[in-house]
Amino acid sequence: MDSTLQPIYEGILVGDLLAVTESVQAALAKEVEPGTILHEALIPAMDEVGRLFEEGEYFVPEMLIAARAMKGGLAILKPLLVDADVKPAGKVAIGTVQGDLHDIGKNLVAMMLEGAGFEIYDLGTDVAAEKFVNAIKENEVDIVAMSALLTTTMPRMDTTIQAIREAGLRDKVKIIIGGAPVTADHAQKIGADGYAPDASQAASLAKRLVA
Amino acid sequence: MKPRERVQLALNHETPDRCPMQVSFTPEFALRLRKELGISEASLHNPHGGGNTYSLERGLGEDMLLTSVGWANSYYQDVKPYTDEWGIGWRVHPYETPFGRGHYTEIAAHPLADEAAIPGYRPPDPHRLELYCDAEQMVRDFKDEYWIVGVTVTTIFETAWALRGLEQMLLDMVVDPDLAEAILDIPFEYHLTAAKKLVDLGVDMIWTGDDVGAQNRMLISPGMWRRYLKPRMARFIAELKSINPQLKVAYHSDGDIRPIILELIEIGLDVLNPIQPASMDPAEIKATYGEQLCFWGSIDEQHTLPFGSAEVVRAEVLERLRTLGKGGGLILAPTHHVQLDTPMENFWAMVDTIRDTPYAGL
Repeated sequence: MDSTLQPIYEGILVGDLLAVTESVQAALAKEVEPGTILHEALIPAMDEVGRLFEEGEYFVPEMLIAARAMKGGLAILKPLLVDADVKPAGKVAIGTVQGDLHDIGKNLVAMMLEGAGFEIYDLGTDVAAEKFVNAIKENEVDIVAMSALLTTTMPRMDTTIQAIREAGLRDKVKIIIGGAPVTADHAQKIGADGYAPDASQAASLAKRLVA
Repeated sequence: MKPRERVQLALNHETPDRCPMQVSFTPEFALRLRKELGISEASLHNPHGGGNTYSLERGLGEDMLLTSVGWANSYYQDVKPYTDEWGIGWRVHPYETPFGRGHYTEIAAHPLADEAAIPGYRPPDPHRLELYCDAEQMVRDFKDEYWIVGVTVTTIFETAWALRGLEQMLLDMVVDPDLAEAILDIPFEYHLTAAKKLVDLGVDMIWTGDDVGAQNRMLISPGMWRRYLKPRMARFIAELKSINPQLKVAYHSDGDIRPIILELIEIGLDVLNPIQPASMDPAEIKATYGEQLCFWGSIDEQHTLPFGSAEVVRAEVLERLRTLGKGGGLILAPTHHVQLDTPMENFWAMVDTIRDTPYAGL
């Protein structure tokens, strides 16, 4: 890896926010393209974070802190990426379904998707079906990602998919779901396009779905 | 056989007449059950025990009674938003089920979210005598008949994250270990004091614990657990057993915590709860740790109880008796408070199968 990009990559892996923002600034000062910083440092670093998570080396705290550092770097790059017309890997509307306020799993998925180059519309928690529908209409998203931690709110995934279908938007988006009680069987049963058991695999799944 | 003897035999790795049972409920499920059993009580049911009459538990034929002191009692305190005595803000959130509307209480504000608040923070006083009236009365009225459990769950980590906020607490544990230690000590000291007092009062078992497991892996690394939580839990268990060497200690963590089970045994753990079957295979857990450890829980609250049929529930209970409960060492219980989305026939299939299946007939 380029010696200008290396400290960005390493800073993300150890979750050093200051090192990442400083080295992103330094790379920009050397006139490295923002798209290059994104695709050759930020995204590969978050890929590696995902790999370390799946291998049992990293856990939620290490993933959170890496994502925080990545977001620090990305915040500097974002306006420049827009100016340079660098397109995201896809657009994702993400939220925890209505009735459910749990957000750490949903936040981790959003961070890993952002780290995979997706543009995120985070609808928050307790998200009603119509809010998902409106997000699809307004932002032309490619993927809808829904989370539920409770058995009592899991059925809302089903009603949200029905609402998307009734709005005539089902063919326009891929739908992925996750959360502690959720399974691949459940995804199939309610007609979602995919399920992931953790944030890292959610990012891989999203990449496959838009490929 | 007295419920108490049933539990004693099971925890001695022997088989009682039938497997001991413990069941807790959310307040709304308790209401449904009271109606069904013709018990007229208006009080809000506390799923962790504490302040209850135990008419439901005794009516069902449960073998252990729970009495709770500590932050876990902050759950389900009211039906409108409230701030508990730790300064933690709660909101009340409704959900719909086929059996009516329920409410969860959810943490909404963290008094130590701002680091500047930490040095001056004063937790509640665990020495207040009124905290222990329920336990005192329970030991007096029921210890002859039942196995009495003093509950101090959410002992260290969970209360700390409620005080600080989960994401911030996890970040602190990576970037600012001294700060993390200082926050973890606040609930640790409180619950240790409470647990010692409960042991003094004569409870048979202390139920401690913190969720460190996620659905299919640990939430924090085993290394982080060893650094922050294991030494505190080791001191907790040792101090309690120095008061009463006969005391049993049960530890609760949801999810998959296989990497730390051996070390929990090493620091004196007797009983592991709740053995979430979607996260850890109960038969494998029994085969690996069954000689050194007893188990409490294992009836699936994520799929079987809310979404299975009565027949599936019954089959799961029998399967557990033949595996996790083989030769004793098991107290059957759902892996969480029974939730309002549970069909009554599933609930009764669980309770009846436990009550009506003699160990001798398996």
